[in-house]
Amino acid sequence: MSWAASPPAQVAGSALRRTVGSASGVASLAGALVIWVALLGPVITLLTHLSWHQITTALAVPGALDPLLVSVESGAITLAVLLLLGTPLAWKLARGSLPFPRVWEAGVLCSLLLPPLVIGLLLIFMVGPYTPIGELLGHVHLSATNTFLALVIAEVYESAPYYVLGAQAAFAAVDPAIEEQAALLGDRPSRAARRVTLPLAAPGLAMALAVAWARAMGAFGAVVIIAYHPYGIPLQIWTTLQETGLPTALPFALVLLVVALPLPLAAYFWSARARGRRRA
Amino acid sequence: MLEADVELDRREFRLSAAFAVAAGERLALFGPSGAGKTTILEVIAGLQEPGRGTVVLDGRVLTRTAPPRRQVPPWQRRVGLLRQDPALFPHLSVRQNLAYAARTRPGPGAGRDEITRIAERLGIGGLVDDRPARLSGGQAHRVALGRLLASGCDALLLDEPYTGLDASLTRDLTDLVREVVAARQVPSVLVAHELEAAQAFADRMAVLDQGQILQLGPPAEVVAAPAARRVAELVGYRAFVPLPADPGTVAGVHPDRVVPGRQPGRGVVLAGPVRSCRPAGAGWEATIETAAIETASAEGASAERPGAGAGSAGAGGTLVPVRLREAPAGGGDFTFTVLAPPCFRPDGTRVPRAEEVAT
Repeated sequence: MSWAASPPAQVAGSALRRTVGSASGVASLAGALVIWVALLGPVITLLTHLSWHQITTALAVPGALDPLLVSVESGAITLAVLLLLGTPLAWKLARGSLPFPRVWEAGVLCSLLLPPLVIGLLLIFMVGPYTPIGELLGHVHLSATNTFLALVIAEVYESAPYYVLGAQAAFAAVDPAIEEQAALLGDRPSRAARRVTLPLAAPGLAMALAVAWARAMGAFGAVVIIAYHPYGIPLQIWTTLQETGLPTALPFALVLLVVALPLPLAAYFWSARARGRRRA
Repeated sequence: MLEADVELDRREFRLSAAFAVAAGERLALFGPSGAGKTTILEVIAGLQEPGRGTVVLDGRVLTRTAPPRRQVPPWQRRVGLLRQDPALFPHLSVRQNLAYAARTRPGPGAGRDEITRIAERLGIGGLVDDRPARLSGGQAHRVALGRLLASGCDALLLDEPYTGLDASLTRDLTDLVREVVAARQVPSVLVAHELEAAQAFADRMAVLDQGQILQLGPPAEVVAAPAARRVAELVGYRAFVPLPADPGTVAGVHPDRVVPGRQPGRGVVLAGPVRSCRPAGAGWEATIETAAIETASAEGASAERPGAGAGSAGAGGTLVPVRLREAPAGGGDFTFTVLAPPCFRPDGTRVPRAEEVAT
C-alpha cells in the first residue's frame, strides 16, 4: 500500500501537453477521466439528490444525531487502540525483526481478506456471552455483544489490517541507513525513533490512520452481527432505510461522509505536501 | 588510539584482523570487494558483534568477547562512520543536521557558533537553512562530515564514502577529511577498493584479502615491495615473468614501474614485440610479449640467486602491460626496464632483496 505524492503544479501543464500528444495518450486520458468520474459518481449523486429541507427535517428528529456521537466515540477509541497496538507490530513487520515474518503478515492479511460479515459471525463465537472470553468479561460486568465495547471490537477488526499494512509500508520507506546514523550520532533506539523514524514515517502513518478511520466509521458487516446496539451511523442508515425508505436514509449518508472523509483527505494532502518538500 | 583485534566467521572465510591506529593517524584498509573491509568498520562502530576479539578506543573497551564481556552499543561509542550514502536526515535543515548530535551528547557539544564555524570551514555556510534534498552530492557529503565533526566523535571511520563522485570532488573531500583528522587528532580508518583512494588518504595501508591482513605498511612501501604475490596482484602488478634461472620464481611487473630502454643498473631489462597499444591517462598502455629476460640488476635478484639476471633465457612469451609516456615505435622489439621488480617464489612469498638480507 503506498500513496504517491501528486506532481507539483508547474509540471501539470507540460504533462497535459505530453499526454494529448499521441493517440494512446488521448485514449488513456479518456479512460482516466471515465474511471475518475465513475468513482466520484456516488458522491455527486448524493449531493444532487439531497435538498436542504430533507436534511433539516431528518436531522431535527430528537436523538437523530446520537448515532453520530456513538460512531465518533467508538472510532476515536478504535484509532487509539490501533495506534497503541498496531504501530509496534507494523514497525516490527517493516524491519523484519519478528520470527517467521510471513506468518505474522498472513495473520494481518487474513483479517483483511475475511468478509466483515464472517468476522462478525466468528466474533460471536469468540467473545459471545457463552464463550470463555465472554465469561471472563462477565466477571468484570462487561459484555462483548450489543454493547459499546462490542462496537469497538468490531471496528478494530474491520480497520486494523488497513492501518497495520499502511503503517508497515510507511516504516519500510524509512531508510535504515538514516536510523543507523542517528544511532552512531548518539541516539539510543527509542530516541532515534522519536527524532528520526517517526517524523519520517509520519505522513504514511497519518495516511494509514486516515484510511483506518474511514473503515471504522463505515464498519457495517461485523457490526450488524455483534453490535446491533448501540447504533452507529452505518446501522442508522440501514434501519432508516428498512423502516422509512430511501429518502430519509440519504441525509444520514451525508452525515457519514462528512464525518468519515475530512480526516483522510486532510491526511492525504498533508502527507503529499510533506513528501514533496522532502524531495524538492 | 584505536586498537582492534577481531575475528568473525563469515560464510566463505574467517575474518581476522588486528591493527592499531594512533591519534591523528590515517589507516587505509585496502582490498577487493568482499574481503571483509566493511565488516571490520561495522565491528568497530558496534553495528556487528565479532565472534572473538576486542576493540579499544582511547582506553575505553568498546568490545570484548572474553570475560568480562562487553559490547558497548553504537550510540555510546562516539565513533563516526561515513558511508557512500551521506544519510542526512531529510526532514531536518542542514543546520539541524549539523546540530543533531550536539543535543544528544554532553560535554564539548557544539553550540550555535560552533555549528556556524564548522559550516563555514566546510564551505557550506550559505546552505544551513536548506533541506538536504536541495544539496548536490558533494555538498551532502560535506554536511555528513560536518555532522560528525559537530558530534565530537573520537574516531572517524570511512567506508568508501567518495566512490562514484568525480575525481576533483573526491580529491577535495579527501583533503578535507585529512585536514579534519589532523586538526582533531582522532584515529581514522578508510576502507577502499581502489588503490588511488587509499594512497590519497592514508599514512599506512593494510592490504586485506579473504579476511586476512596480508601486509601493513606505508602505501609507497606496500606498492614497491609487496610482501606476497597476492598483495602484488591487488596493488596493480599485472604480469609475472618467470625467472628461468630459478624455476618457479617470477618477477612482478607493475605497468607504472617501467621505463623505456635498457637501464640494467635500475632493474630487469625485458624486450619483445608490441602486441597492442592504446591511450591511457596522459600516456599509453602497451602490451609487450616478452620473449626473454636479458639481464637483471643486483637489486632485482635475490641474494639466494646471485646469478639469476646474468644469463639470457626464454621467458616463454608472457604478455606484459606497461604504461609509457610515449607510444612505443612500431616494428621490431621494444626494450624496457622494470624498476627493481619484486620476485616471488612458487608459494607466493617474496624473495628478499639483497639489501634486505644484508641488514
